[in-house]
Amino acid sequence: MTVQTLALCCKAFLAVLLLAAGGAKLADLPGFAATVRLFAPRALGSRLPAAIAAGIAIGELALGAASLTSPQAGWLNVAVFAAGCGFAIVSVVGYVRHPGTPCRCFGALSRRAFSPAGIGRSMAVAACAAVAAWPAGQALAVVGAAGRLGLLAGGTLVAGGAYSAAAALGAGRDPLAGRA
Amino acid sequence: MIRIPLYLAVAQWALLGALGVLVIVMFRQLGRLMIKPAEPGELGPRQGSRAAALSYLHPGQEAVHQLRPGDGQPLLLAFVDPTCPSCEELVAVLDAMQAAGELAGVRALLLISDPPSYLSISETFTATRIEIGRPASRDGLDYYRASATPLLVAIDGGGVVRAAGSVIAKTEVRAFASACLLPPPDAELSVVAASGGGAGRVGPSAGHAGTDLTGGGETAG
Repeated sequence: MTVQTLALCCKAFLAVLLLAAGGAKLADLPGFAATVRLFAPRALGSRLPAAIAAGIAIGELALGAASLTSPQAGWLNVAVFAAGCGFAIVSVVGYVRHPGTPCRCFGALSRRAFSPAGIGRSMAVAACAAVAAWPAGQALAVVGAAGRLGLLAGGTLVAGGAYSAAAALGAGRDPLAGRA
Repeated sequence: MIRIPLYLAVAQWALLGALGVLVIVMFRQLGRLMIKPAEPGELGPRQGSRAAALSYLHPGQEAVHQLRPGDGQPLLLAFVDPTCPSCEELVAVLDAMQAAGELAGVRALLLISDPPSYLSISETFTATRIEIGRPASRDGLDYYRASATPLLVAIDGGGVVRAAGSVIAKTEVRAFASACLLPPPDAELSVVAASGGGAGRVGPSAGHAGTDLTGGGETAG
């Protein structure tokens, strides 16, 4: 496997990951807002963290969709790398300040908490994003209009599937454990 | 021969992989749902049983307080956490009911497991006038089987559990409050309450709680 192919694999993987994470978060915004509130100053109240949570979920969806369907746009790779670094920082701070608290990184799809393993996963994501930003990979990332449309349809399916799965899991769990 | 661009091939495998994972997640959940009815409820103490004593601390304080059900005062014990949105709903309902005088004669206590500093992230928990505590030891705690939050337990003045379950709606909480105001049962009445058939005032809420019990074990707080 060449470096270019590896970079494309990382890019596609991260784009799909962002779509799934964004879709799942969107299905459990109150839950994710509770996680955001762990990091927000109390003075912000409860509405702003909820808005931030919605912004993060929608931002992930938009970034994932754009990165998946516009593989030649190099700046998107940088944006994904920045997001990956952001996730890594949040997981480190989350582990230091709130160990064991659910991070809700994938909404109700996952019950993983801030932990050393979580830090490792987010570091791996950041490393993956660094590889995806490798400029040589863009030469092979040529996709026509039909291909981009197909990718967008596939990405919508993944985001919709993640949303539905997270909503179904949340519906079965929420009255019992809102903090799941 | 059709030549598929490399990126397209890679991306479609990534999409297929993600969809595959989602299908597996959903089938696992389906499996859990199908198994659940056979499992005994594991959330909350059994109705009709005698509530266990607890020791707890007020957040930020070191003095240990004792909770002794059966001292003559009905008790609504809520296992809640500031990081749990559903718990915030329950606390808001309890707070509103207390402000409206609907909990007259009933002692309400919120027990949290999150660190006391987490109280500051929730406006509802910060604003509530209901007593908040944090278990000081595990003694008696296992009895309540608070494997998930929110969990509301209605205990009458005699220390008998009249209802327990995961409720957040005002009507349900009101039914719990009414349940714990019932006069302390004698031995015969407690058997009737435990069977769930004879306690007309408790029945609906208890039945709902019984339904909710099925998934308590899978979401650790």
